[in-house]
Amino acid sequence: MDNMKVLTNGFIKENPVFILVLGMCPTLAVTSSVVNSLGMGLSTTFVLICSNIIVAMIKGFTPAKIRIPVFIVVIATFVTIVDMTMGAFMPALHKSLGLFIPLIVVNCVILGRAEAFASKNNVLSSTLDGISMGLGFTLALSLIGAIREVLGAGTLLGFAVLPKAYIESPMLVAILAPGAFITVGFLMAIINMMKKEK
Amino acid sequence: MEFLAKMMVMAVGAIFVQNFVLARFLGLCPYLGVSKKLDSAFGMGMAVIFVMTMASAITYLIQVYLLIPYGLGYLQTIAFILTIATLVQFVEMVIQKNSPSLYKSLGVFLPLITTNCAVLGVAILNTTAKWADGTPYNFLDAVLNGFFSGVGFTLVLVLMAGMRERLEYANLPKSMKGMPIALIVAGAMALAFLGFSGLKM
Amino acid sequence: MKYYIKLGLILLAVCALATGILAYLNSVTAPMIAEVKRVEAENARKEVMPDATDFVKKTMVDSSEVDTDLYFIAVNEAKEPIGYILTVALNGYSGVVKTVVGLKNDFSINKIKVIEQTETPGLGAKASTPAFAEKFVGMTLPQLMVKKDGGDIISITGATITTRTVTNSINAGIKRLEEVLKVEVTNG
Repeated sequence: MDNMKVLTNGFIKENPVFILVLGMCPTLAVTSSVVNSLGMGLSTTFVLICSNIIVAMIKGFTPAKIRIPVFIVVIATFVTIVDMTMGAFMPALHKSLGLFIPLIVVNCVILGRAEAFASKNNVLSSTLDGISMGLGFTLALSLIGAIREVLGAGTLLGFAVLPKAYIESPMLVAILAPGAFITVGFLMAIINMMKKEK
Repeated sequence: MEFLAKMMVMAVGAIFVQNFVLARFLGLCPYLGVSKKLDSAFGMGMAVIFVMTMASAITYLIQVYLLIPYGLGYLQTIAFILTIATLVQFVEMVIQKNSPSLYKSLGVFLPLITTNCAVLGVAILNTTAKWADGTPYNFLDAVLNGFFSGVGFTLVLVLMAGMRERLEYANLPKSMKGMPIALIVAGAMALAFLGFSGLKM
Repeated sequence: MKYYIKLGLILLAVCALATGILAYLNSVTAPMIAEVKRVEAENARKEVMPDATDFVKKTMVDSSEVDTDLYFIAVNEAKEPIGYILTVALNGYSGVVKTVVGLKNDFSINKIKVIEQTETPGLGAKASTPAFAEKFVGMTLPQLMVKKDGGDIISITGATITTRTVTNSINAGIKRLEEVLKVEVTNG
């Protein structure tokens, strides 16, 4: 496997959200603002890199039969580490991501990559794969978060970007649940369109 | 009587107001992945109801009799996910042995449920959920909450599958076909379910 | 059979290792998380009672540590009581809304702060803004109802239920505190 290729795969060609359609729950649930998107994306990236490294390291002496439970324990450990450290150092973000931090465990991106990539490749390319997939995931989440925050609140990263009149009565639906589905739906359609033109 | 009223409040809350898929954003992977055909959606829904009810019961007992008394609250995530994974395996084995016909219709969905965040979600929510007067859920409440949340999941999954079967024949722009239009339809459905929020009993 | 015991042992070892790591990390972060929570609560109290220098913790229900059962007597530098701090909570439009209330000695509101809510973004969620808290400054018990119910609190546009929740929770909280203080006076 060409390492450079592994590193760039996750951004567009195999973007976990738009192309592989993995990890939809956090994608839709926490993207009501860019800050939340970034927090979720980076936490997932951290867990993804760490679990990929450990899985690639222990794949030699883990019997195939108990592979999945061992992977799950590894992932759950890192998720709990993120949960604790975020609670101690970033309490505000911890509060707004809430239930979705422990739920990183069942984010299909992580178990999917452990099973499909890290259990078959060496430590270095597994690390790169974790970085690539994680950042691709973060990128997708931030894009969705940016669109929803601008439309739904008239702000970006908390700063006003649209006229005051808009901020006072914005298109609220964009930060509510339906807006999440519709935004992601249109983004996927746009990506499909771009792929076809190539 | 009081019990029945409480149950009604919980049922309406879990199925309509705080619907797992459309309002809480849990269990989206199967919602988008297994909603292409009506009968597979129904099968998945039944399997989820079953596992969610069982998981609610077992994780509640683990939380109250193991994690809290020994001050192990921080192991919640690991303990719950392992329990759910084991439970799913166990259920699969039992069904396979005792009811081959049921296994044929549900079997393929069971392994998928381990990574269904709705199951872990309901287990964690049960430990923090409270009634309006501030009393935490007891064992029965937790089990019923798991059951009704599963019913809510099945309801929207089956509705979605019904719509997607028809969408197959719709004349859509090519780039909208498949996942994009499914998401937009889901958005319209979430909009409809938004009407339930704020429902007071 | 031997093979399965080996599998079980490997799994056990992995779990034990994970538990060990987490137990260590928990012992480091748990006090930090508790400290963050304490500082947060302290800051909320300071915010609704900026003149106070110290807060004396009291409880309304014997030996209860639930935050809605507690109240604080705010004292100034001269150790004179200048008011009370309450935490009140009630179910709003889509979940519990929790508010910290600062009261002067005459039970008029000094300042409030909504510290916890899951209301609709853009509508009920505006309850967390300073503009909303401003509506309550100086209000007394008879005024503490939304306009529709005959009081003086003007609702947030599109979020009457949230406004009513906050208002009614404060109203009930003040009444409860008055009862408790009355009992204490007769006892003491």
